[in-house]
Amino acid sequence: MTAILKVDTIQDTSGNNIINESSDTITIGASGDTTNIVGTLQNNGAALALGSLTMADNWRLTSDASFDSTKTDLTANLEQVDTTGQGTIGSAMTVSSGIFTFPSTGIYLVTAILSASKSGNSRYVEVHINVTTNNSSYATVAQGTDSINQTDSGSTKCNPIAQTLIDVTNTTNVKVKFSCQAYASCAAAGATNENRTCFTFIRLGDT
Amino acid sequence: MKIELVLRSYVWETHRMTDREYLNRALSLMHNGQWFGWRKTNDDGNVIPNDQRMTYENVIVHNSSITKPTEAEVNAKIQEIKDAETKKINDKASANAKLKALGLTDDEIEALK
Repeated sequence: MTAILKVDTIQDTSGNNIINESSDTITIGASGDTTNIVGTLQNNGAALALGSLTMADNWRLTSDASFDSTKTDLTANLEQVDTTGQGTIGSAMTVSSGIFTFPSTGIYLVTAILSASKSGNSRYVEVHINVTTNNSSYATVAQGTDSINQTDSGSTKCNPIAQTLIDVTNTTNVKVKFSCQAYASCAAAGATNENRTCFTFIRLGDT
Repeated sequence: MKIELVLRSYVWETHRMTDREYLNRALSLMHNGQWFGWRKTNDDGNVIPNDQRMTYENVIVHNSSITKPTEAEVNAKIQEIKDAETKKINDKASANAKLKALGLTDDEIEALK
């Protein structure tokens, strides 16, 4: 038999509110109480994460690549970090020919770090975050710039960093890719066992 | 003691990259762009550990218009990089000596850099 209890307020034996409904707002507990949720707290069926991130991902370039004054997309040799001690959270980004697709909608913090190297000088070295909202045309929304002024006999390095928030309203149409450019030919450093040129994606919340 | 310090300095100056870093750099300088990468599995399909992928044997060529260079060609490119580094060290030492011969102090030479 189904029983229905029709009340606006449930109180403890001392008369303090435990649950109260008023004008379509349900209040659980009161100031000073501890509300302990055992199990999964959901928002219309979707798990809510309170105070913790649901997605953080990290990718790297695995091989060196030369680039120059022509804006050059990074289209290959990209892998999710997988060296012992490294880790990620939640669903991963996917990549095809350098184009990164987000696993779900939301606001994402995207960071690109270029490890550039040159035996010589380059008055600018840039890394770009490029975004499309129609899965076709891309616009640069963040640019990090540094320069290389050779200090001694070996290659001198610099680390331009680009960072932005991306509003992923649609995972089919909103995507990102990365590019680099320099006044004089440089190498984007890559490695298979550690991050040099690398990219980080962190989902901060809903769009 | 002074000779030892000079030699240590020379070693530091000429060996600032590991062998695999020289290999990586040499390959990147042979063609523009992302023409090469490293395979992840060996001929038997077994995963190659991350820290063992960056070797000549594991080089794969992405660009069909480019032929994988021979190991001798790659080694020649590595030597070219090392020779250029050594030349810069020698040029720097020579330039410093000439400036001193002209009467500049160490502080004045440093100020020029």
